[in-house]
Amino acid sequence: MQSSEQEEDLRLLRESARTLFDRAGGSGRARKLRDAGGEFDPDMIRELAEAGVFGVAVPEDQGGLGMGLAAGGVIAEEAGRVIAPEPVVATIGLGLGLLHRLCPDHPKLAQLIGGEASLAVAWQERGPGGAPAQATCRYAEGKLTGGKAWVVGAAGSQGFLVVAEGDDGPVLVLAEVGAAGLVTNTRAQADGSSLGELSFSATPAEELASGAAVRNALAEAVADATALAAAELVGLCQRAFEITLDYIKTREQFDKPIGSFQVIQHRAVDLNVMCEVAQAGVREVLARMDGETDANTRSRLASRAKARAVTAARKVTRDAIQLHGAVGYTDEFDIGLYMNRALVLSAWLGDDAYHRRAWFDAREEEGAAQ
Amino acid sequence: MTDWNAMSDAEFRKEVRGFFEAEYPEELRHLPHRPKFCEIEPWHRKLHARGWVAPAWPAEYGGMGLNAAKLLIFYEEQQRWGVNRGRDMGVQMVGPLIIKFGTQEQKDYWLPRILSCEDIWCQGYSEPGAGSDLANLRTRAEIDGDEFVINGQKIWTTMAHDATHIFMLVRTEPDTPRKQQGISFVLAPMDQPGVEVRTITTLSGETEFCEVFFDNARTPRENLVGELNKGWSMAKALLSFERIFIGAPSLAQNALGQLESFARGRGAFDDPVFRDRFAQAALDVEDHAALYARFADQLKRGETLGADVSMLKIWVTECFQRITELMIEAAGPDGGTVGPLQVGNVSVDVLASFYKARPTTIYGGSNEIQRNILSKAVLGLPG
Ligand SMILES: Cc1cc2nc3c(=O)[nH]c(=O)nc-3n(C[C@H](O)[C@H](O)[C@H](O)COP(=O)(O)OP(=O)(O)OC[C@H]3O[C@@H](n4cnc5c(N)ncnc54)[C@H](O)[C@@H]3O)c2cc1C
Repeated sequence: MQSSEQEEDLRLLRESARTLFDRAGGSGRARKLRDAGGEFDPDMIRELAEAGVFGVAVPEDQGGLGMGLAAGGVIAEEAGRVIAPEPVVATIGLGLGLLHRLCPDHPKLAQLIGGEASLAVAWQERGPGGAPAQATCRYAEGKLTGGKAWVVGAAGSQGFLVVAEGDDGPVLVLAEVGAAGLVTNTRAQADGSSLGELSFSATPAEELASGAAVRNALAEAVADATALAAAELVGLCQRAFEITLDYIKTREQFDKPIGSFQVIQHRAVDLNVMCEVAQAGVREVLARMDGETDANTRSRLASRAKARAVTAARKVTRDAIQLHGAVGYTDEFDIGLYMNRALVLSAWLGDDAYHRRAWFDAREEEGAAQ
Repeated sequence: MTDWNAMSDAEFRKEVRGFFEAEYPEELRHLPHRPKFCEIEPWHRKLHARGWVAPAWPAEYGGMGLNAAKLLIFYEEQQRWGVNRGRDMGVQMVGPLIIKFGTQEQKDYWLPRILSCEDIWCQGYSEPGAGSDLANLRTRAEIDGDEFVINGQKIWTTMAHDATHIFMLVRTEPDTPRKQQGISFVLAPMDQPGVEVRTITTLSGETEFCEVFFDNARTPRENLVGELNKGWSMAKALLSFERIFIGAPSLAQNALGQLESFARGRGAFDDPVFRDRFAQAALDVEDHAALYARFADQLKRGETLGADVSMLKIWVTECFQRITELMIEAAGPDGGTVGPLQVGNVSVDVLASFYKARPTTIYGGSNEIQRNILSKAVLGLPG
């Protein structure tokens, strides 16, 4: 699928991303930020931007690196390994995914790539029962009215890219933080981050794009972000597994390392296989999505990736706690942070059960189209 | 004194339910965390006044003297109404041990204080090097005149920061051919200079367990329960009781009830796949209850339980975990959200249930250890 030159590029990218995250403090940074009550680190955003991280998948003629989604996946995996709290995937997949498709000339695109702006994307809505519902948030005569939910990165962002219903179909608009009638509530998440719940009443917003193009771009951006979130989970799983493997080699009970008990050995092997399958599947998906233009096929691929990654992350992080025994249940050990982060990434953009259904539906639709 | 066992099951259930519904404080129903004693003290006073603190203890020691069937009903009603168990390690763990192995003086002194919660107990078994391999414990107790002098460290001691006393396994004879020998069971007061308690934060941010350090802590010699150096077999004698308790259906039943109202409110039952998964969990819980009743009947007939009781704990804890995973699934994009989620007029703390379910496969003998026991002691497999 990839040429050896591309592969080499990705390898180098992975190396530099890993170095960057490790130098910044690895998983210890996530803990520090959480304890300080911070959502993410502005310095880190700048550093990531300088390394070109946000623009990896943006075409070169739009100021990005043009390396495609596969490169985005490399960054996401590395962010997952150190459970980086920054909304890297949300920015690459959703924010930039929308801007570069819909309004490549808007100054916010360059600012987002350069780390000078932070924008959260608000597109989902909560129905009366609490579950996701059909979008009803309206945009008319320059004003937004309604609400949006599950906004990743809301707490630290300067503005919101809002997908709303306009007079002629969907619109993408930009509402600045502090705009009249905009109220932001946050809901604390298991990993110390938060999700935003926005409500607008006649909130002024700038229209960036409208019509069917918005609907299509949103579907593509959501597919990108979904596959990238899967990659983030893959990185998280790999690291959670490594931590656990180290632990079972060193923890002794009954005068031997617990890793010498066959049942523990088999469990470890199963987790390892699970991680490798997930990594292979998700990386293949990302590489294929780059060359795929059919929207339905892209979203099917993304569902495949997320379904696999969530299943793997659930198994790996839960078993990791079990294999640690009581220390796994403490906040002192990092392994709990990995489980908490996995909970959040799994719930975002659909869990495995959701994506298996989506995958099946997309496949039926493709079959019908042929 | 009422002979509860003489009542019909239905009458007894009505009696218990009526009391809980009338007297249990609404704001304490389905508490998502382990309360400190002060939080539930008013409720404890009511229970105590009624003589209902220790449903399983014989009536002569101030218990309700319930047989296994009545006990099951009592616990069912307790969980149905979301009645907190309170600080019950005294009642559940140390009390039965004192009743079985204690001297008359020990019974006369400690049991009433357990019932009144004048003494609040924590369990000091595990140590950093002694988890699954409990017999590896190193905390020393040396006899000095009419006292034991205790040195060492316990860990994972649930609610030690809210306890007045600790019951512990300690090493009283250092060099024995087998690790299980030379261990004794002693009771010690926590409020003394030689005892230091440090709380440990769990991955959900709660402080419910602790490290307890002993630096020349002291306890009177008469606080030895049972024979010196024979603590291991006593602690083991209690295990089968503990395992049926820990294998009880209540946690899973309670979680299933929460899952049902939450999933219904969220519209998750519109999806046939979810309905199937829910049905699976519900049947897992029902059939577990049937198996549980079999063991409970054995107790009722006065038989002692065998090692096979471990299967209850394996089944119910893993089932509990699956149910909480289903809650997270039903929560959809709120699956990582901390705190209660509102659906209609019910509110369910999905993550709190999830976190509560995680360590059930670790404590009380991990599920791996339970499987080791079953494969050897029940299936007779070699090794
Ligand atoms: C929430 C909570 C509350 C607790 N409260 C108390 C308390 O109040 N008082 C108290 O004394 N203790 C308490 N404990 C401690 C509990 O009893 C221990 O956690 C338990 O005995 C396991 O020991 P460990 O944590 O050291 O794990 P380890 O023994 O180190 O086990 C680590 C992993 O290895 C596995 N393993 C170990 N040996 C074997 C083997 N031979 N074969 C296969 N697998 C094996 C285990 O199953 C586990 O998965 C509590 C624990 C928790 C989590």
